[in-house]
Amino acid sequence: MSESTQGNPYRVYHITWVILLIITVAMLGAEMFHMPRWFLLLFLLAFMAVKAVMIGGNFMHLRYESPTLRWVVAVGLVVTSLILYFFITPESRHVLEHTTIKHAPAAAPAASGHGGH
Amino acid sequence: MSHGTDAAVAPAHWGGGVSPFGASWQKTMMWIFIVTDGLLFSGLLCGYSFLRTASESVAPWPVRTEIFKIWFIALMTFILITSSATMGTAVTAARLGDRKKATMNLLFTIIGGLAFLGCQAYEWTELIHGGLTLTSGKFEHLAFAPQFGASFFILTGFHGSHVASGLTILIITLIRYSMGKTPAQGVEMAGLYWHFVDLVWVFIFTLFYLV
Repeated sequence: MSESTQGNPYRVYHITWVILLIITVAMLGAEMFHMPRWFLLLFLLAFMAVKAVMIGGNFMHLRYESPTLRWVVAVGLVVTSLILYFFITPESRHVLEHTTIKHAPAAAPAASGHGGH
Repeated sequence: MSHGTDAAVAPAHWGGGVSPFGASWQKTMMWIFIVTDGLLFSGLLCGYSFLRTASESVAPWPVRTEIFKIWFIALMTFILITSSATMGTAVTAARLGDRKKATMNLLFTIIGGLAFLGCQAYEWTELIHGGLTLTSGKFEHLAFAPQFGASFFILTGFHGSHVASGLTILIITLIRYSMGKTPAQGVEMAGLYWHFVDLVWVFIFTLFYLV
């Protein structure tokens, strides 16, 4: 590990820890600023990705590993997860659009009492 | 001379010297395990995403602030991030041969993990007492999609079980390391698993508690 040979070898953990805490606080406080839903979602997902990269790179030392190992992890986890997500999500919308049960229970008894169509 | 040529070609082909990824077999195996275990959580999170969207036709998804104490979840996140930092310190200290520092930081990590599990047990107890189960779809006076309870207990339950197994690994590593039976690399392997548990929480925290 090259980081252990330069200066304080524990500094990277302290800095990462502080940054992760700041990002967490920012994520928690984001809702106080009344931003559009799509922007809030984008903000949270971007910060989530930054946190994941910081943990993987600095805590798990992935930044010091060989590019081959980094690619295996990136393709294995990120790409497969994205493929899985983009196959599943459209199906959930299909279920949502074709499910007949709607949450409006108050109107149902009156309509059925007349035994109409 | 042909042997010399072969020796020069082989590392260039593999790009990792004597090992395919330029890492020990233990570390390579641990990374492969982490990728496969990460895909388990990836599948669970995709399933949660599916249920959340599809269940809107039956009942609404609850407003998270009405169910969770977000400041408490933030505390759990703080504990896990801090334990990850102490774990990183323990790994580096073990590599540098600073046995005392490594042992102390392993101990701090274990305390952090126990605190996280204690918080999760408290959170589960509160929610179960409020009426939330795998299938109930209600909490105190609130009614919502029953898939919420299933998603919550399965996601956080799987993560909690990983924290528990990580703690077991850490306790064994601490005992063996302090006895001189586990080398620095053993601490590093335990550390990789613990950081992975932290990494998974980043996704659960954002996608389940904040979105």
